[in-house]
Amino acid sequence: MRFPEPLLAAILVLAAPAAFAGAEQVRSALATRLQATHPDLGPSELVLGPAAFDTALRDRPEWQSPAPGSAEVLAAGKAIWTRKFRNGRTLAQCFPNGGRRIAASYPQLDAKSRRVVTLETAVNQCLKSHGEALLDPADPATMGAVLAYLRSLSPGQKITVRPANALAEERFEQGRRLYFTRMGQQNHACATCHLQLAGRRYGDTPLPSAFGQAAGWPWLRGGKAVTLQMQARSCLERMGAAPFPAGSDELAQVEYFLTAISQGYALRPNGGRAALP
Amino acid sequence: MRARLLLGIAVAAAAVPCAAQVEAGRALFADPRKGNCLACHQVPEGAGPASRADVGPRLDGARLKGWDAPRLRALLDDPQRVDPDTVKPPYGKHRILDPMEIDRIVEYLRALP
Repeated sequence: MRFPEPLLAAILVLAAPAAFAGAEQVRSALATRLQATHPDLGPSELVLGPAAFDTALRDRPEWQSPAPGSAEVLAAGKAIWTRKFRNGRTLAQCFPNGGRRIAASYPQLDAKSRRVVTLETAVNQCLKSHGEALLDPADPATMGAVLAYLRSLSPGQKITVRPANALAEERFEQGRRLYFTRMGQQNHACATCHLQLAGRRYGDTPLPSAFGQAAGWPWLRGGKAVTLQMQARSCLERMGAAPFPAGSDELAQVEYFLTAISQGYALRPNGGRAALP
Repeated sequence: MRARLLLGIAVAAAAVPCAAQVEAGRALFADPRKGNCLACHQVPEGAGPASRADVGPRLDGARLKGWDAPRLRALLDDPQRVDPDTVKPPYGKHRILDPMEIDRIVEYLRALP
């Protein structure tokens, strides 16, 4: 299947390694294409994921935010967030305002290590600095739950991630390249489904757009909190590719790219999603 | 003369897939762990499970007219040789399906109404 619109050519040029033109230019080109194919969808719809393209889905209780069953997940996350370390400190004390209204500013960049710092990284850095056991970034019951709670402390906050220096541009570009690279048995890139085919039905469900995903996570899927990185790893497995390790720089860079293109989107964490077949 | 006649019958029989082969192709077409084709395509009512998928085109006899078996086989084996921008998985090249399974799906596709 070929892309029908001439705009695709421009997007693919932007996706080509030699043609990187800057984060804002990439974001703008991708947004223009989305606007051309789905002019009626804005940030408040796109954050709904598949339901952005199917109004019947939006009314189902399992797709609401917070989703049914989220109370238990949030309680588990709050317990981890407020649990006292052996030195009497807590995760909440590692973050400004106890973690309130901070989630929309992540991922951040650490100038010293030159790495992307996701919320997962920040949580584990806090635990490490206090001599506590780290949480597994792939575990919905611990890392998923605590991030569900943490992001619930920033309702409606707008994403402020915007690459503003050379290091940020470099990490954005690395994430973009990974997002556009075909891989696995299926020979798909993330961009195949979430930019090229966004809104088309894969099976019964519309493919969610890349825009808005960074504002919507975590999602409650089968009673479990699924972070953006967990979802990316699940997608890679379904593509027949070996997933990047949980907590890896690659996943952090993809998250940085996705978050930067959704700058200005209001957080809507803990919405429901259908269980994957 | 008799031998030629028998050979002709054998060749003709080999060229026409039997119902069991078409049915095997239909099963592979729908199986999420094999072709998983219904994730992207719809087929005519009665020819397979109903699907609302529209990632790829609806497949039916009219659409596939002119697609002979070698052409379909080549498309399923490595679709990027036909269209570099395609999103269709390379079923043969990446060993998602073996050659016999591809043949069964080709037979199913060619039998679509």
